[in-house]
Amino acid sequence: MIAINYQRKELSSKLLKIGVLLLALGFIIALLGYVIDHERAAFNGIILLMFVMSVGLGSLFLIGLEYLVGADWSVPFRRIMEILAIVVFAIPVFSLPLFANLHTLFHWTHIEDVMKDPILRNKMPYLNEMFFSIRSTAAFVLMFIFWWLLAGRSFGQDSTPTKNFRKITVRISALFMPIFAIVLTFMAVDWLMSLEPHWFSTIFGVYYFAGTFSVALAVVTLFAIYLNENGYLGEGIEGDHYYNFGALLFAFTNFWAYIAFSQFLLIWYANLPEETFWYLHRWEGSWAVISVGIIIIHFIVPYAVLLPQPAKSDPKRLKFIAWWLVFAHFYDLYWLVIPTYSHSGAVFGWMELYPVLIALGTILILFYFFAKNKNLLPIGDPKLPKGINFHL
Amino acid sequence: MSIEVLKEPSVIEGKPTFVEIDEQISAPIDKLPNIKYLIALGITSTMLLIGIICIGATFFYGIGLWGNNNPVGWAFDIINFVFWVGIGHAGTLISAILFLFRQKWRTGIARFAEGMTIFAVMTAALFPLIHVGRPWLAGYLFPYPNQHHLWVNFTSPLLWDVFAVSTYFTVSFVFWYIGLIPDFATLRDRTKSTIKKIIYSILSLGWRFSNRHWHNYEMIYLILAGFATPLVLSVHTIVSFDFAVSIMPGWHTTIFPPYFVAGAVFSGFAMVQNVLIIIRKIFNFEHIITLDTLEKMNKIMLATGTMVGYAYGMEFFIAWYSGSQFESFVFINRAFGPYAWAYWIMVSCNVVFPQLFWFRKIRRNIPIMFVIAVLVNVGMWFERFVIIVTSLAHDFMPSSWAYYKPTLVDFGILVGSFGLFFTLLLLFIKAMPVISIAEVKAVLDGAQPHHTHNGGHNGK
Repeated sequence: MIAINYQRKELSSKLLKIGVLLLALGFIIALLGYVIDHERAAFNGIILLMFVMSVGLGSLFLIGLEYLVGADWSVPFRRIMEILAIVVFAIPVFSLPLFANLHTLFHWTHIEDVMKDPILRNKMPYLNEMFFSIRSTAAFVLMFIFWWLLAGRSFGQDSTPTKNFRKITVRISALFMPIFAIVLTFMAVDWLMSLEPHWFSTIFGVYYFAGTFSVALAVVTLFAIYLNENGYLGEGIEGDHYYNFGALLFAFTNFWAYIAFSQFLLIWYANLPEETFWYLHRWEGSWAVISVGIIIIHFIVPYAVLLPQPAKSDPKRLKFIAWWLVFAHFYDLYWLVIPTYSHSGAVFGWMELYPVLIALGTILILFYFFAKNKNLLPIGDPKLPKGINFHL
Repeated sequence: MSIEVLKEPSVIEGKPTFVEIDEQISAPIDKLPNIKYLIALGITSTMLLIGIICIGATFFYGIGLWGNNNPVGWAFDIINFVFWVGIGHAGTLISAILFLFRQKWRTGIARFAEGMTIFAVMTAALFPLIHVGRPWLAGYLFPYPNQHHLWVNFTSPLLWDVFAVSTYFTVSFVFWYIGLIPDFATLRDRTKSTIKKIIYSILSLGWRFSNRHWHNYEMIYLILAGFATPLVLSVHTIVSFDFAVSIMPGWHTTIFPPYFVAGAVFSGFAMVQNVLIIIRKIFNFEHIITLDTLEKMNKIMLATGTMVGYAYGMEFFIAWYSGSQFESFVFINRAFGPYAWAYWIMVSCNVVFPQLFWFRKIRRNIPIMFVIAVLVNVGMWFERFVIIVTSLAHDFMPSSWAYYKPTLVDFGILVGSFGLFFTLLLLFIKAMPVISIAEVKAVLDGAQPHHTHNGGHNGK
């Protein structure tokens, strides 16, 4: 018999205070931004939307993955993922200002220009406001449904475990995976790739997925370590559990680099003007610095920090690198989105802060309110003792 | 809730003792080959001979014996090269990546899959050598200062292939050999024949099963697994670059690297599964290579097959989305043009049939899974056919479009490649332990007691 030493502890209201502060500050900046320069504010809104989507949809993916592969070590952290996944409900809210500004953001919404451009005219059956809205709405609805199926159903298990819960959820997870791939791909194509509607890359969905996975895992890592350090996760979670976070973050740092490099090398080598212009835009003026920076920030630093074996289970270094990867994903999205707004060179001002502030604030507040009356361990899960007892 | 309830079933069934493991695994090596083995060897070496004759004829009369024509300069040789390199991927994935993921079920199949990797890469390496036309000059593929001042073209992915494949072969070989050392020592200690004893003593490098030996062994094994992991990805990535760096429609697409890697793992697992089903039956390894292991392999095939399906879909979508008329033409031509038959063989074998693995009953049904895995390999061969031939046959200049028809010599060389691969496999089965004796012992119940916090241990 393994006893689970877990007593539910009230979450510190500090979490809420920080969240409210961040959100309020971000909200003010966003509001000012939309008043002063709505174009720039809207482009930053895409960064916000895609970041929150990465965390929410990515958490759902992590839950599904755990069920599908039957992982033990992550069972104690599944509740954190389930609570984090609640941010999928914030996605439509953040998309509203963007839908109001579609004309500002997307060149393909200007019908008169599209009619003059044979390539864009060709894309009209896909790139039109109607179908675009339908796709996004369908994606949001699917996220809600799968939030309920993968995460929402799990909370009741704490008090009244049902038979076959795991078996059914494994099946749902299997169903989720292809849907996840399609939803994520089309969201990446629609909100990021179609910003430059002439450009295309078959790997783009995978590229966004690589970022999604590492940032969702980084956020889960941060919550797991902070909560555990403050005694919210009971006893028994230690270095061996952390090691898996470190190893997976390391693996997906490499995966991201592999995908990013593949996309770049193939386009650079073939040198076809219909593809290269996308990278050339990111090489104009000071954008070149940002483009080189992404290699260092998204690959070299996390690679170097996570490479040594002890780093993968050291909570201090893990916290640092998880924060770093959160930053790296913002940086990546900035690099994907803002060159369409500012062609001649990188711009960075107070307005670029709002996606970061609102995203982090939202995540903290939603986490706080949603976790408030809940156990932070899935105590109804019969696999939990095994998960806590995990050793390498 | 008691933890015992949740204990995973052992990956080895029937709780054999260590001695039984030794005996069962070394049984094929101890006994003289029986008539069935000799018949099998006869068949494979005949296939190999057919291949050798066809290659000899090619060298004597020239590449005109092949079906290659003017636009289709790359055909069976490169298809076979990519196909066989792909087959090799399962071995390293099982031995390195699954090792890093601490998947115990890999132990029963790792050695065999590694062996297959080596033979598959050897078979694959044959094709570029034939394809260059003057194989005796192939040494110039390696960059070295020479009197002719001949240098390789460093910017060509074909050269990167030389580096990638030879590095891959070297590391896989070393990895395989390191794993074999303790087993050679076991065989050395068991054998009664003097000649065998000398051979095994040399091969086992003085292994004495000491604590320090194991310590070094495990360290080097982990390091090699770390090295081999990026190599698995890099080899097929670079093979995909052979096509994707060009501007040929249907070849130049950015998803090629991960798509090729997924496809390679897919076909490699299909081949490993096929051969293992036969091996476990013939040598009574059913308790070591269990049905659970086969089911897990089928799951990986389902996952990678679906990834390949995603890539097909994405290619089609972007071909239309790009607005490039060449891209759209190539893809419509693939699906509905003169090679539509090949395209639909590819789609049905690679994407449709593996979907049957969603059902647990099918994943655990040996005859059905065998057939599906055969179809997967057919499909993966056709995938390369579709990519290479359809794009070349209808390239940018419609006046030179031509339909590619392979000749008997082409097929003869293909048959020969299977002959070479299976001959090497059969020889391997009789010469070395096809399952890692040491590793299987380590995953037996009770071999690795884990102490828990309340003082008990969940070993046996």
